[in-house]
Amino acid sequence: METSPTPVRDADAPVDAASPPASGRHPHRLQGSLFQPIGDEGRAELVERQLVDAITRGHLSAGERLPSEADLARSLGVAPVTVREALLALRARGLLVTKRGRNGGSFVADHADPLSFTREALRASSRLALRDLGAHYAAITGACVRLAARRADPSEAQQIRDRMQRLHDLDAEQRRRLLDDIQIEIVALSQSARLTREQMKLQAELSPYLRYVEQDGGDMTRQSEHLAAVVDAVEIADEDAAVARTALMVDETIEALISLQSRLD
Amino acid sequence: MERTEEAIRSAAGIVTEYFAAPTRALLDWVQPLATQVADLRRSGPLNQAKLDPLVEPYALRMLELEGVPVYGAGFIAAIDLLSDARSHLAWWQGADRQQLVLASQTVNKEDIDYSALEWYRVPMTSGEPHVAGPYVDYLCSDEYTITIAVPAEIEGERIGVAGLDLLVAAVEKELTPRFMALGHQVTLINGVGRVVVSTDPRCATGDSVRGSRLASLPRVACDGVALDVIVEEI
Repeated sequence: METSPTPVRDADAPVDAASPPASGRHPHRLQGSLFQPIGDEGRAELVERQLVDAITRGHLSAGERLPSEADLARSLGVAPVTVREALLALRARGLLVTKRGRNGGSFVADHADPLSFTREALRASSRLALRDLGAHYAAITGACVRLAARRADPSEAQQIRDRMQRLHDLDAEQRRRLLDDIQIEIVALSQSARLTREQMKLQAELSPYLRYVEQDGGDMTRQSEHLAAVVDAVEIADEDAAVARTALMVDETIEALISLQSRLD
Repeated sequence: MERTEEAIRSAAGIVTEYFAAPTRALLDWVQPLATQVADLRRSGPLNQAKLDPLVEPYALRMLELEGVPVYGAGFIAAIDLLSDARSHLAWWQGADRQQLVLASQTVNKEDIDYSALEWYRVPMTSGEPHVAGPYVDYLCSDEYTITIAVPAEIEGERIGVAGLDLLVAAVEKELTPRFMALGHQVTLINGVGRVVVSTDPRCATGDSVRGSRLASLPRVACDGVALDVIVEEI
């Protein structure tokens, strides 16, 4: 049975030349932005990275079929030949396999697991890039939690704390997803749609690294402790504490990543 | 220019009337939909492919509603109502009325948990229509939103909510002139004291009245909707 990752648009909907619109918004809301339009430069490397990101974030799982080249080209806003180039490169890296025949197509390799993709991304990255990601993430998330502390009703923070009770019963993957959801809920309390959208993109980028740190370090509780403290600060309208705790969480994560990176070959 | 007591009544009336029309529009189809869902369930397990076509005509009808700036509409299933997904939003939105396609951060795309969100939780608990928000809607509209939701029932079992989204920016543009015509400062707040709309430019949508000058002023409830107005002389 064919399972396809969610395309940007419903297969039956007319595809008009004006979309995705240059001014930005998709008619569809994709939480975590599975596929973002690449733009006119549309190079194969960018397509490659987007597909690797999708696998890393768990949007595409091992063994899953990719959308067709035409659909990918449409979703990503690039030419089909660019997609083809990217798929070839991913096949050469052993991340995709091609099957011929009636149920043929491109599939994520069976052995592909998000953690190994993240390890590879970490290996290829630099301390500079990691710290800059941290700075960007802390700035945006900090701005959100500051506004949340100012504007949220204590009952709304309480709601989030109640959700955190469920953490105990979950496995590592489910915990990561719940913590991501909780981070978004806190950020949404800022009442700023723009900042929330921005933060969600950064969250999607950082999340695989958070997962990696949790899995490797063995310390699963640090992230949830930080978030619980941020929720507490929001509840009592302590803006500075909310921002400071967020900054601390990011610092620890980035330093842990840099430490893990130095232990990779 | 009205006297303050009259202005208060008028302001509350404006709010009640504004939200009554879209609420009524949802109530018009929620029961027929529930009946169709009940019929469908008798003939086999209920899944997304069977539910969505039932919802679509109603959702599109909401998007065409005259005099109300509906941005999105549809039906949100109760958790575990469907056989092929724990959660599901059958939702259409935007200028081109596209069906919402969600990619959650989970591998299994049915794992979104909206059960704690106000627009679901309140009507599912109370059994009554609810105007939720304003809030940042990161699941559907991606914008600052007010959601009107009414619960759907089959013989006492709540199977989900029928809903529609209004963008707060649009509501602001429509309500502010009506309030200003009363010649008084009018601030509309929700159940937790969050400002929805205010004629006072110092009073920002999204801010809380908690701890502000308005906190001590009388709040007057608007009939049929869990929103209050604070009315002051200018």
